[in-house]
Amino acid sequence: MSRLTVWLILGATLTFLIGPFLIVILAGASAGEALSFPPQGLSLKWYAKVFTVESFRASFALSMFLAIFGTLAALLIGIPAAYALNRYDLPGAETIRTIVAAPIIVPGIIVGLALLRYFVVPLDVTITMALFVTHTALVLPYAVRVVSSSLNNLRADMEEAAVILGCTRLQAFTKVVLPNIRGGILAAFILGFVTSFNEVPASLFLSGPGVRTLPIDMLSYMEITFDPSVAALSALLAFMSVAIVFAAERLLGFSRYV
Amino acid sequence: MFLNRAEGLALALPAALFTFLVFLVPVGILLSVAFQAESGAWSLQGYVDFFSEPLNQSVFFRTLKLGILVAGTSAVIGYAAAFCIVNLPATSRGRIFGLVVLPLMISPVARTYAWIVILGRTGIVNDVIVGLGLSELPIRLLFTETAVFIGLLQLFLPLMIISLVSAMENIPRDVVPAARVLGASWFQVFFRVILPLTKEGLVIGGTLVFTGALTAYITPAILGGSKVLMLETLLYQKVNVSNDFVSASVIAMIVIVMCFSANLVLKRIASVRR
Amino acid sequence: MTKYIPILALSAALTATGAAAQDKLTISVYSFAQDAYKEALYDPFEEMCGCELVIETGNSVERMAKIEANAADPVIDMAVISSHDALSLARKGLLQPIDTSKLQSFDKLYPAAQDPIGDSMAVGYTFYASSIVYREDLVSIESWNDLLGEKLAGNVSLPNITGTQGPLTLMMLNKAEGGAPGEFGATISEIGKHADDIVTFYSRSSELAQLMNQEEVIAAPVGRFAWSRFKSSPLPFAWADPKEGQAGGMNVMIMTANNGNEELAYKLMDYWLSTEVQTRVAEALIDSPANMDVKVSDEVAENLTYGAELINSLNILDPAVIIANRDAWVNQWNNEVIR
Repeated sequence: MSRLTVWLILGATLTFLIGPFLIVILAGASAGEALSFPPQGLSLKWYAKVFTVESFRASFALSMFLAIFGTLAALLIGIPAAYALNRYDLPGAETIRTIVAAPIIVPGIIVGLALLRYFVVPLDVTITMALFVTHTALVLPYAVRVVSSSLNNLRADMEEAAVILGCTRLQAFTKVVLPNIRGGILAAFILGFVTSFNEVPASLFLSGPGVRTLPIDMLSYMEITFDPSVAALSALLAFMSVAIVFAAERLLGFSRYV
Repeated sequence: MFLNRAEGLALALPAALFTFLVFLVPVGILLSVAFQAESGAWSLQGYVDFFSEPLNQSVFFRTLKLGILVAGTSAVIGYAAAFCIVNLPATSRGRIFGLVVLPLMISPVARTYAWIVILGRTGIVNDVIVGLGLSELPIRLLFTETAVFIGLLQLFLPLMIISLVSAMENIPRDVVPAARVLGASWFQVFFRVILPLTKEGLVIGGTLVFTGALTAYITPAILGGSKVLMLETLLYQKVNVSNDFVSASVIAMIVIVMCFSANLVLKRIASVRR
Repeated sequence: MTKYIPILALSAALTATGAAAQDKLTISVYSFAQDAYKEALYDPFEEMCGCELVIETGNSVERMAKIEANAADPVIDMAVISSHDALSLARKGLLQPIDTSKLQSFDKLYPAAQDPIGDSMAVGYTFYASSIVYREDLVSIESWNDLLGEKLAGNVSLPNITGTQGPLTLMMLNKAEGGAPGEFGATISEIGKHADDIVTFYSRSSELAQLMNQEEVIAAPVGRFAWSRFKSSPLPFAWADPKEGQAGGMNVMIMTANNGNEELAYKLMDYWLSTEVQTRVAEALIDSPANMDVKVSDEVAENLTYGAELINSLNILDPAVIIANRDAWVNQWNNEVIR
């Protein structure tokens, strides 16, 4: 294939994939009252308005909380599980793997509905708690997978050597394994963070008075007003995600782990 | 491998138990709702009732059709793009690959939102169509299957490209030029060389895209609206508008079964082609 | 110590469900204009009663489902809802009659609002007219029948049957065709024949406002409460006065049965219906007043459903008819219109 063909194909594909964001960014910078493209004059007023909407602030805080602590909780139980699945000859390892991977396979909207009906209501769990649990469960498969793949790259005999040299198993883990899979853990954290932060379908049913994740709040804001502030907020969030991923890529070659 | 099984289980069980109790149990109960008659006995009546409604049938077939179309189209574009990417010099390959991955990091709300602006009657697509004289008046694109198709394709194409790029990276670099030198046409190169060597990537990518298209909610909700219902939007409507949990449970089961079957069918096709 | 901070934050966030010892009233309301309501009603009420208001929002089905699910131990004390939803809850025995003697402004309400569903199960707090909003530079609207006519084909949107506006549109189309009152079967079939000419069936007025501002749609039926969205647009929108008249609807307040919080709930209802609050809510262009003493400027009135003459002229759809037929309508609609 000629270079021209190659760049034509890639150019068209990337325009299709990325072009819409450029439009969102510009639509958010419109001076007009309604969402439109090309924008009716340029202004940053909608970008500024995003920060003044009280519900956005509250839901941003909730989404941040869920993305950070939900992912940390998933890592807390996911790292030992990944380690056990990699290093031990477990009875029923396949079953455990399937159970842990299940949240990826079940459509999110069903997850949200199921948890609302058969977890939140009967056990009288708060919505925040339910969201926390759901996001942890949804992030867990990624945590296990990414940590597993970085454990795979780490030879098991290093730990055995450490044990032979007098370390306890726990010491061998903290002194030999953890430092070596740090990159994988960070990659898992970022992937989990982004997954949780952008999650919509499972959170759709899990909202209560004043408790909504940011994407859901954006959807319900769109139900009330269709002004360009949602475009502005979308653009800001896109920048945030991209910045995080870009920094991670620069620092540790994030894409190796994904 | 360590042999202390009790220790291993103790490490793995918290994650497994957690997912099982707070995730699989509620989902399992939800799925079982549709199998129960009012008397409490096992019954398939919920499924019979669901499929006897013409609207539900057409939503089912539309969802299947759009899932296949999106997966198929993304395979075609995905192969072209992936082939170009793997043949780039290393530095630009990394950059272009990064740009392909980038959309996955952005909220689907933002990703779908853009299409409202683009596909509207006063949007750029219509400006071009009218400008080129293809149509005298702007045409209706929003709230059509086409709009949902475009939105879903944009959402999930990156998954296909990523799967195919990693599959193609495993093809020895000189295989394609060798086949060309030996006189194979591009058509033959694709079907005899590239396809057989990348079919695992195609199975993974195809499953991811099809599953994604079936389970997406925002795109059909925003770009399809009430006239172009898909299973996910129908499910939401059953719950939030008609309070009909039996139908919701039926739809949930259908979607899960469709996703699993897609994976099995694709694997099957891949192994037959060998 | 610092390493425990995340854990502390976590446990605090997960358990923070309100340790407040003060009186608490939980109400369930429509999700629109909450910021304006907070200013006009919630904040002043909290200050006045020294209590805490917990606001639940959502669409009406969600909110009704919640009231039904918690019937034994009501979470929601008081709710505002459409009159037919109120009737459906009342028939299920989930409501208690309202003791109107506890509402000081009761006699100031329009008669139609005083006992809209019978047995004092509800009190109306706002009216709205429903008509067709259209682009006066492109079309003119004389009759509800124009919605399905040639000149609007491909440029018209109708409200979805599942919302409150859907049945109102059916009623007016039915009236325009001279059908028997309440018999909407033929009307739905007629809409089905024109389904391809209809851009979409909208479920929220904001969605419609967006479609019309983007010139996707040039005419559609909508409630007057949404008119301010259209009036402020640079495009020339007009409010039709079709020969069949305008449709009308009412939203009402209800009190859940055995909620144990009646005293506070009456306080809120009383305050909400007062001339003071009804005026404030009207001036914020949120809800049109049901209290006859409310006086607003012509400019404000222009955006609302205001004045006895207008309110008495509205075509009202009997809530009992809606409840009795809704399932059948939705069924027929799904099979003939959406397909």
